[in-house]
Amino acid sequence: MTTYMDIISIFILITSFALVASKKITSYIKAFRIQSALLAMALAVMGYFHFVESGRIDTLVLCALIIALKVVYFPKLLNKTYDRVEHKVEKDFFMNIPMLILLCSGIVIFVYFIISGIGSFGNEDVTMQVVNMVSVVLIGVFFMITRKKAIGQIVGFLVVENGIFGAVMFGAEGMPLIVDIGIFIDLITGILIMGLMVFKINDLFDSINTNKLRRLKG
Amino acid sequence: MSLSDNEFIFTLSILLLLAGAIAAIVFSRKHKAANIISNCFCIGASALGAVSVIRHLLDGGGIKQVFTFTSNIPLIEISLRYDNLSSYFLLILFVLTFAVSIYSIGYISHYYGKRAVGVFNFLYCSFILSMMMVMLAGNLITFFIAWELMSVTSYFLVVFEHEKSENVKAGTVYIIMTHLGAAFIMAALMIMYALTGESMIIGSNGLFADIPEAFKNLCFIFFILGFGTKAGIIPFHIWLPKAHPAASSNISALMSGFMIKTAIYGILRFTLGCFGVSEVWWGTTILVLGIIAAVLGVAYALMEHNIKRLLAYHSIENIGIIFIGLGIGFLALSKGNSFVAGIAIAAALFHTMNHALFKGGLFLGAGSIQYSTNTKDIEQLGGLIKKMPLTAIFMLCFSLAISAIVPFNGFVSEWLTYQSIFAFLSEGSLGMDLIIILSAAALAFAGALAAVCFVKLFGISFLGLPRSESAKAAKEVPVTMLSGMGILAALCLAFGLFPRLVLKVIAAVTSEIAGLSLLENISNSTIPICSGISIGNNRMSMAALLVVIVVLVVAAIIGVRLTGGKGRSRGFGTWDCGFVEINERMQYTATGFSKPIRIVFRLLYRPYRKLTVKGEIPEYFPDKMEYKVGTVSIFEKYIYDVIIRWLQRFSRRVKYTVQTGSIHMYLSYILVTVIALMLYGRLF
Repeated sequence: MTTYMDIISIFILITSFALVASKKITSYIKAFRIQSALLAMALAVMGYFHFVESGRIDTLVLCALIIALKVVYFPKLLNKTYDRVEHKVEKDFFMNIPMLILLCSGIVIFVYFIISGIGSFGNEDVTMQVVNMVSVVLIGVFFMITRKKAIGQIVGFLVVENGIFGAVMFGAEGMPLIVDIGIFIDLITGILIMGLMVFKINDLFDSINTNKLRRLKG
Repeated sequence: MSLSDNEFIFTLSILLLLAGAIAAIVFSRKHKAANIISNCFCIGASALGAVSVIRHLLDGGGIKQVFTFTSNIPLIEISLRYDNLSSYFLLILFVLTFAVSIYSIGYISHYYGKRAVGVFNFLYCSFILSMMMVMLAGNLITFFIAWELMSVTSYFLVVFEHEKSENVKAGTVYIIMTHLGAAFIMAALMIMYALTGESMIIGSNGLFADIPEAFKNLCFIFFILGFGTKAGIIPFHIWLPKAHPAASSNISALMSGFMIKTAIYGILRFTLGCFGVSEVWWGTTILVLGIIAAVLGVAYALMEHNIKRLLAYHSIENIGIIFIGLGIGFLALSKGNSFVAGIAIAAALFHTMNHALFKGGLFLGAGSIQYSTNTKDIEQLGGLIKKMPLTAIFMLCFSLAISAIVPFNGFVSEWLTYQSIFAFLSEGSLGMDLIIILSAAALAFAGALAAVCFVKLFGISFLGLPRSESAKAAKEVPVTMLSGMGILAALCLAFGLFPRLVLKVIAAVTSEIAGLSLLENISNSTIPICSGISIGNNRMSMAALLVVIVVLVVAAIIGVRLTGGKGRSRGFGTWDCGFVEINERMQYTATGFSKPIRIVFRLLYRPYRKLTVKGEIPEYFPDKMEYKVGTVSIFEKYIYDVIIRWLQRFSRRVKYTVQTGSIHMYLSYILVTVIALMLYGRLF
């Protein structure tokens, strides 16, 4: 099972690189959808083992929630929002893509340096998975910084959430179900509000370029 | 659980104060009922509390537990207890609140129907409770909570008449200064806890004394900065002359009479009680600060014509005198001279009590004047002695007491301070002697200027002819207000005539806090009990002095009668120079009275004159002329204004460089912080 988890965590990391490398908004959303699906796959395997070993089904419930929300609902919502606001194609990032990829690789090395110093996680096997997931968190934040458009920031935020969720899942075999459900409710509210704000920004500035929010400052 | 049980009485007094606060809210619809009930609770509480602490001090003292609340959260433990030092300060508080609460019954009546009297009385009771809590705080966290509570409730009371913009401004200055001070205190308390793990300050295990010297010195500096701000030590005094006139008079009396003394308590409790004095420079610092505060405080008071601001500056002067006593005491302790230390610290404690009595009384008197004339400007007053004879007598008593004139209490404590200075002179080295001689000179100088200032205050407002319509229409204030002032005036006289009564109580404090014996050093069998004090070869007895004064006055009256004849009447006024009548515009004004001093000390005051002439051709046909004389506060201009300008420039720069409004910038701050923290965790 460890090998399987290792491979999935590497794939999740690769999807976040794909996210950083993609140019179009629709391809961000696609990359996010694939990342969430990979997370759900890891959860499904873990849930199956939990069910067989101790009859717990909470991990499976969580897996279903992830599929429903992150694989189906959020990408659909984001696509719909994008359709309604803007069809202009313009350069959406501050730095060129090879530079971004290099910096992201730097982040992964940095995280490896940090995590390797922390010592054990109780279980030596998970160190690599945790390194990958923490890298996903930082890459998510980095992605938010480098994209100009509001949908980029939303996707980046969701990737950060994926990373934190993955780190907990791989590092500690998940949290209690009630905590996870609470986080999901937060997430839904957050995404709905951010979706609304995208419309508002679009109305105000005729664009969803968050760089223009500077003008709001007094 | 009976009335003979001290702790029970004490707890009862706390409960009564709480009941007073609740009653004020419950009856808030009926202004009169709320005011009377809540003040009666306060009177009862302070009477019971005073009885309890006096008995505690006379019984030999020790530590008494009042209330403890332990929570599951580590370090959060509320502990209320008192020892002799707290009891002494609590005694001052109770005596003052007793008189002020009686006074408030009448005084607050001018709020009826206009303001939320219930809220005012609720804040009043909470303010007293919070000051009590500061004295009762048994551990560090309780002390800090109580300290902040006291600051916040007093802030609300300062801005209670919030429709006047200068009150709100005064409140803002006050809350900023007091929180800056609290920040220093908090830092010092945290250092103390971090180095020892001990949190009890009353009845501690003595671990604080083992803190390394360097940290003790750091804590001392923080305490002086923090408590100095509350006490109004120059240059941290700027809030004091603003906040006192803004608050209503009974609150000013409490604030000036007691709240600023909590700083004295704090310094005694932490530096002397917890650390023990070892460094010579501690005493020197306190002494020098005291000299500056005493001289500059009274100097600024002379320039004020707002009666409450004048009194506020006098609070700075008196805190300076207390600091001089403390400074001498600390110096003597660090040199191991327990004889002088006992007298000096006793003098400081005695002056703390005295200042609470006469300054509380003076603020109540100022409130009475404001109550019947609606003005705080002494240039508008005059001739009040005929309209308000009793208030005038009480104000005269307080003025004599604060100017340290026989036979009132101010004289005794200043005399004790002088004695400690003279007794310590032979001890020090040459440099030390210079500072000590300077402090005696400063004390004398401040005393003389204070006398001038109160001649001005009393002469301009009570003597002569009324300078305004409202002064003409003034009436004597209600009997509750008079009795509030009367109690304080009687105590001023009593403690002046029988100082040994108070010194007996103080002896319990000095022996507890620094192991100093007092009574053996000052008693003398040749002078009547309770009245005389004898230090070395210097002796004094107020009762004897009083007899001399009475004899002299009677002799003078008889002499005048014998030489001048009696019953002769004059047809014309003394100074009317052939005019038909003397009117109020021919009188000396307060500005004119203080002009010589303004000229002598123009370096300090920076006086300016401004003449504005208005009209079509102002040089030849002026319609209106305005002449203004004023002084510049050098501390505000050269310290605070500079700091404020620097802060403004800094925040403007931050606005353009850091707070740019760009989401991407803000997100990168987060990323950089996270990365920096991760690196910190990895490397250190």
